[in-house]
Amino acid sequence: MDKKTVRTIAHLSRLSFDEKNEEKITNDLNNIIKFVDQLNDAETSNIEPLTSPLEKTARTRPDKVTAENRKEAFIKNAPSSNEDYILVPRVVE
Amino acid sequence: MLQKKEISNKEMVEDTFTLIESNKHLNAFVTLNKEESLKKAENLDNNPSNLALSGIPIAQKDLFCTKDLRTTCGSNMLSSFIPPYSATVIENLESAGCISIGKTNMDEFAMGSSNETSFFGNVENPWGEGLVPGGSSGGSASAVAAGIVAGATGTDTGGSIRQPASLCGITGLKPTYGRISRWGMIAFASSLDQAGPMARTAEDCALMLNEMCSHDPKDTTSLDENVPDFTQNLNSSIKGMKIGLVKEFDLSKLDNDVVKVFEESKRHYESLGAEFIEISLPNISLSVPTYYVVAPAECSSNLSRFDGVKFGRRCENPKDLEDLYVRSRSEGFGDEVKRRILIGSYVLSAGFYDAYYKKAQQVRRLIKNDFVSAFEKVDVIMSPTTRGTAFKAGSMGSDPIQMYLEDLFTIPANLAGLPAMSVPNGIVDNKPLGMQLIGNFLEESKILQVAHSFQSSTDWHLKTPNGDIS
Repeated sequence: MDKKTVRTIAHLSRLSFDEKNEEKITNDLNNIIKFVDQLNDAETSNIEPLTSPLEKTARTRPDKVTAENRKEAFIKNAPSSNEDYILVPRVVE
Repeated sequence: MLQKKEISNKEMVEDTFTLIESNKHLNAFVTLNKEESLKKAENLDNNPSNLALSGIPIAQKDLFCTKDLRTTCGSNMLSSFIPPYSATVIENLESAGCISIGKTNMDEFAMGSSNETSFFGNVENPWGEGLVPGGSSGGSASAVAAGIVAGATGTDTGGSIRQPASLCGITGLKPTYGRISRWGMIAFASSLDQAGPMARTAEDCALMLNEMCSHDPKDTTSLDENVPDFTQNLNSSIKGMKIGLVKEFDLSKLDNDVVKVFEESKRHYESLGAEFIEISLPNISLSVPTYYVVAPAECSSNLSRFDGVKFGRRCENPKDLEDLYVRSRSEGFGDEVKRRILIGSYVLSAGFYDAYYKKAQQVRRLIKNDFVSAFEKVDVIMSPTTRGTAFKAGSMGSDPIQMYLEDLFTIPANLAGLPAMSVPNGIVDNKPLGMQLIGNFLEESKILQVAHSFQSSTDWHLKTPNGDIS
């Protein structure tokens, strides 16, 4: 993994870091990837991936509204709001 | 004491806050719930209840949402987040009469094994200055070990209940995946996360577990299984019980003293009538690499919700929406969290998905299958919980992999979704040590029974940094 790849995944993750840290992060990530490369030792052809220990499909429920509307309680946690709306910088000019 | 009315509920809560104050140097708590706790205690004094855990002060890991009480997850990102609702497990404990006296410090977003990644500073292990309590449920472990509370909640994604329990000399249990609702638990790795009790004894863990477990329609992975009374089998004899020892766990790499403690516990179990059987888990050595693909992948998608828009920290004066996302996240998250998000994004990205994420999930199945075969031969599996005793803060250096290997013995149970616990079984250099008992799917009662039989005939669980409890 080179610095360019690290910059790409940082962008995908919406994270940034200064140049001083870039070197250390690239180094750490390379070590971690090298470490997990041990997985290649396992013979896994025809093995079904295991996504959850329960292996059950999610339950469905009747399509009914069960939650109450607590807009005010939730909007209180928004960093910036205007009555009913959560505010962000202008997106469309 | 509470039941005998030797002490009022209010006095009990007041004493707890006095202990928090005198143990302030441990930095075990992020937020206290004093006023509310005293109010509840007074209420109980005036209107006594016979609920199972009536008036018992409990410390809650700061990863569980608590209504109207700040919940930070050890992160700057949530340093002023006040949830409008409580996690199901918090509601369950409070409905059973528990008083949530405060929120305990933890590794940021539960990512760490030493409680050194919290935005609110390191937690001290009461067993020695500068010693880590383990992580990520380090504050909860430290609070129980110091005798501040009889019980605390923790969460365990790769060992975050069992490893700190081992390093602090207490008992901690991670139930079967799905036993306890994850609703209101801030998600790290959804297919691995599980809440559980941390307490002095297996019996106390069983009492807490009785109240913590429930089927919750709000969590699609919540198990719809009968919740037994986990205290019922505690006193049954373990004579004839088959305990598995994992051939692939190479104990020769551990310190002699650590191995000696483990061997002594084995002999003790033999004297109680248990039989040891060697089992093989051929893929177990790939547990840590598997975990470090699966957990970061799930974390990178879970933590994408922290975008500075709807809740949590937002940067000052963002110049546009993109800048708002990037700076809010970069300022809000610490280094370890960023590292895991980046790894997760990498292993999930186009071109690498099959090589890493899919591969890890395939190996995860092999590991689970290994356990399925092993449990055809044994009742429980026993191993050390950790490679050694508590280490000094800062001693792991800057290589993250050294810290990742701290969870070598604990990660497999998370990958397979099995219940597992850590039980104090010795002291080395004045520091406690724990052994791990892994049970088959839904067999919490059995590991609790095996743990209780040990604790009924030894006193390691009664040792505290301030002397033995009589």
